[in-house]
Amino acid sequence: MKVKVKLYGTLSSNVPEYKPSQGIEVEIPDDATVKDLLAYLEISETRGAAVIANGRVLNANDELQNGSSLDVFQSIHGG
Amino acid sequence: MKFIRVNMSDKSIHVEDVPQEYAGLGGRGLTSILVNAEVPPQCDPLGPENKLIFAPGFLTGTPLVNTSRISVGAKSPLTGGIKESNAGGTIGASLGHLGITAVIVEGQASDGDLSLLHINGQGEATLIPAQGYKGMRTYALVEKLLATYGEKNSVMCIGPAGEYQFASASVQSSDVDGRPCRAAGRGGMGAVMGAKGLKALVVDQRGKNADVIANPQAFKEATKVVVEAVKADHMSAEVMPNLGTAALVAPVNAMGAFPSYNATKGQLDGWEKISGEAMAEIIKERGGKTTHRGCDKCMIHCSNEYVDEDGKFVTSSLEYETIWATGGMTGITDFDVIARLDYLCDDIGLDTMNTGVAVAVAMDAGYRAFGDAEAAIEMVEEIAKGTDFGRILGNGPAAVGEHFDHPRVPVVKRQSIAAYDPRGMLGNGITYATSPMGADHTAGNVVGAYLEHKLDPLSPEGQVDTSRFLQIAMAAFDCMGQCFMANVALLHPDGFGAFQKLIEAKTGTQFEDGYFPFGMGTRILKAEKEFNRKAGFTKQDDRLPKFFYEEPLSPHDKVFPISDAELDSVLEF
Repeated sequence: MKVKVKLYGTLSSNVPEYKPSQGIEVEIPDDATVKDLLAYLEISETRGAAVIANGRVLNANDELQNGSSLDVFQSIHGG
Repeated sequence: MKFIRVNMSDKSIHVEDVPQEYAGLGGRGLTSILVNAEVPPQCDPLGPENKLIFAPGFLTGTPLVNTSRISVGAKSPLTGGIKESNAGGTIGASLGHLGITAVIVEGQASDGDLSLLHINGQGEATLIPAQGYKGMRTYALVEKLLATYGEKNSVMCIGPAGEYQFASASVQSSDVDGRPCRAAGRGGMGAVMGAKGLKALVVDQRGKNADVIANPQAFKEATKVVVEAVKADHMSAEVMPNLGTAALVAPVNAMGAFPSYNATKGQLDGWEKISGEAMAEIIKERGGKTTHRGCDKCMIHCSNEYVDEDGKFVTSSLEYETIWATGGMTGITDFDVIARLDYLCDDIGLDTMNTGVAVAVAMDAGYRAFGDAEAAIEMVEEIAKGTDFGRILGNGPAAVGEHFDHPRVPVVKRQSIAAYDPRGMLGNGITYATSPMGADHTAGNVVGAYLEHKLDPLSPEGQVDTSRFLQIAMAAFDCMGQCFMANVALLHPDGFGAFQKLIEAKTGTQFEDGYFPFGMGTRILKAEKEFNRKAGFTKQDDRLPKFFYEEPLSPHDKVFPISDAELDSVLEF
């Protein structure tokens, strides 16, 4: 399946020539989970990734849907 | 370990050893317990019976890094209750290096009289007439003070808003570059300082009389745990140095909890233009600084320097809460305007949050349109001029709501909420409602638990317990002088233990297991609640404004569902 991904925080450094306004399109297996997506993007656990779709933070084991738009942030405890 | 008591009525100064009941306390714990012990709860916050306390953290001035916070405490003219507001910069460390546990400002100068308090490198304090600085804004004031007393001084001061005794007046703190851009913004501590007749506190940075650490080896070992944890965490080691707290704009907006247009929506149109990522791009393109050290002994460098198109300094440091209050709440999506508003608030001596929200309430009431940048700047300038409307605005969103008879005023205990809508992040709403400080995100911010998927922000389950735990932990943490960005150390398995060991190593005293944070945190919260109760607060004051219970917030279309009984249970100890 294909999903659209936008990267925030310092995560865009994982994708060369990343354009914030466009994001990237990623092709991953049909049964891929949030965890699989992060592994595909080579975002390690230590970087505190939080994947949000439709206003909700997803669980690491949530399965992704074809054609969905995902935003990947880094967790922060406040400002 | 000494208190410096300064009486503004008769201009006397007394130095005393710190009484035993304050041993092991600094920062918020010290200010709150002292206010509760010495300030009559029903007194006029702008009268002679109130006391204004400046207290560096208990670990400020020690070799531990990220410890430069200073707490400013008093009875608040904004909330009418107890208040602690803390700031970074350099003055906390300067006082710490002199072994000064607190400066306690008492009494009241006669009308129109203005002084500054100078503390030299030997820790000797002197009150100096400051009539010549009357009405000065903070940037010009600090420049003049540093020219007069030398660059190796730290300054805390008020601007015109503090002299007018407005309820949104801040106390500004100079950063490592000598700019008054750090603020003890919340609760009108600048108004209390103005009412005392104190324009500035100037402290020599070269003191060499820090408190003796009873067990230096144990202190060093515990320091290692904290430093390693701060170095290893993505928030403190990666996100903060690159984007600062502004990195929160995108995720909070994505979660639908970014209060916009005076909290009528949970997402802002055009939020991309005011995200942390966008700010970093603008600053880089123009040759400013995305990474900047604002505070003494900081290893995180979350600060920034925002510059204009010609590369000229506009403000430092542009932070998440300010971007939200002056941008999200007002519908202004132009970073140059937001940066200008941040600078103006620092210069006039105003809480950016209370002021931005006051502007937003005025816009919502129809005084000006949302997104009107020129109007926002004009309104803030009116505060400095002390016009009739400026006086209303300077007293915060509640005063503006009363003026326009406008019911949608996002405050608790008259203090504005922060950049997390209670309907989109229930735990933050619980903290706003129940903190003795009024709506205060720093008292127990749950956003991290939501982003880490430990808690569903829209489900009531677990919110009360999480808010309670964080409020206790933060009450204790705010005693240490540690920066919030370093609180990631508490996430380390040995984090709480490391702080307990630091306290024990400094004092040479063993405390019972769990003293940090539970024993210390609950002691402080109890004192704060006791003061508020005696000042006249009831359970009804621990509620959110009605509209949060009645008006659903887009995009999730939720209201705040937490019952009064649940709110009453949060700090019931």
